[in-house]
Amino acid sequence: MKKALTIILLVIAFIIIYFLQLNFFTWFTIAGVKPNLFVILVLFIGLYSGSKMGTVFGLSFGFIIELVSGSVIGGLTISLGAIGFLSGYLEKNLSKDSKMTVMLLVMIATAMTEIFSYVFRILIFSGNVEFLPFLKTLLIEILYNMILTIILYPFMQKMGYKVEDIYINPQILTRYF
Amino acid sequence: MHKNKTSIIGIFITIVILIGLVFLSNLKTGSLSSIENIFSSVIMPVQNGYTYLKNKISGNSSFFSSIESLQAENDLLKNEKSELEQSLRELEIIKAENETLKDYLNLTQKYTDYKSVPAYIISKDISNYSKTFVINAGANDGIAPNMTVIADEGLVGYVISVTDNTAKIQTIIDSASSVTASIGGSEESIICKGSLEEGKLKGTYIPTEADISEEDQIVTSGIGGIYPKGIVIGKIKTIEETKNILDRYVWIEPAVNFDKLETVLVITN
Repeated sequence: MKKALTIILLVIAFIIIYFLQLNFFTWFTIAGVKPNLFVILVLFIGLYSGSKMGTVFGLSFGFIIELVSGSVIGGLTISLGAIGFLSGYLEKNLSKDSKMTVMLLVMIATAMTEIFSYVFRILIFSGNVEFLPFLKTLLIEILYNMILTIILYPFMQKMGYKVEDIYINPQILTRYF
Repeated sequence: MHKNKTSIIGIFITIVILIGLVFLSNLKTGSLSSIENIFSSVIMPVQNGYTYLKNKISGNSSFFSSIESLQAENDLLKNEKSELEQSLRELEIIKAENETLKDYLNLTQKYTDYKSVPAYIISKDISNYSKTFVINAGANDGIAPNMTVIADEGLVGYVISVTDNTAKIQTIIDSASSVTASIGGSEESIICKGSLEEGKLKGTYIPTEADISEEDQIVTSGIGGIYPKGIVIGKIKTIEETKNILDRYVWIEPAVNFDKLETVLVITN
């Protein structure tokens, strides 16, 4: 029951973020660059509910976004899936209580997603590589995502512990007791 | 012991009150009146309210007798208000529809040579690197891939894929887009490529003999098989000269404001 409720809440979070990205963040930009809140969401899911959930949600969210927004399906789906998997995998080796660690993860995840999506697009459309404009956009996007992480971290941590109790801690308890 | 302590405190308080009273009673009248003002400003509103209520309850019997009629009047006004609000909402919807239809009409009248289907943008790509969007018209409306999409101001892009009721459009500012164009309607062709530079097009492969200047209009050349000839793309904003004249390029400002774009026309012939 709790698991089902958590999944519903994550889907609601996804819908809210989708509309924020589509409306609010189209004008609330840093030098015309939008953040990518989906990366933060998938990273959060992977960190607090494990690899399996992270991968499933990453792939699903990426697929839905690309399907609805008219992008080429593949780039974002694969990269978000990978972030979900990797963050779940790293969950055991990293301290989620450290804001700096989470910010560093957000930085790496944003860079991974955008580089992969951009390369994927260039390969599909045979577009020309614009290294400097891409780097500029990427750096601003990373900065924007990190700022949002600082703001959202207390909420993420609070919600994360609840999700963790449902998905990760019961497994640990059964292992030891 | 405890009693003694209490009485000493009591005495002390009494002495303080006494000194206070003495001090206040020996102050000048002006100073006292300022204290009175502070007190009266606090007390007067309460006093006024109290007097008003007392008058209403004891003297003014019509206050109670008119409650029922006031209640009825209030209900009537509430009903009228909700009806007016409903009408206002309906008017706003009609106004929005009217503006959309006006946009469609302007577009259709401007491009009378082409058979076109009007459409509304329903979703945009959220990525920073691609500029595509989805419109609310698809195969059922006669739209097919590779059809040209225009707006009131000029060229928007082309249809990359369709479903029964929607179509995906790749705009000319998308970094994967490239359009063959001519400068100011001349025969000199250039290639306009979408760029990651916010809302700009990069014009390359400029003929060496071409005489270009800022504010020159760029229009589609008709070469390439997707875009018809003569649709406005934009204006040359800056010319970037290089050592080798073959490598020179221009930055083009699109005629269409893609941030505010809401309605488009899909050319079907």
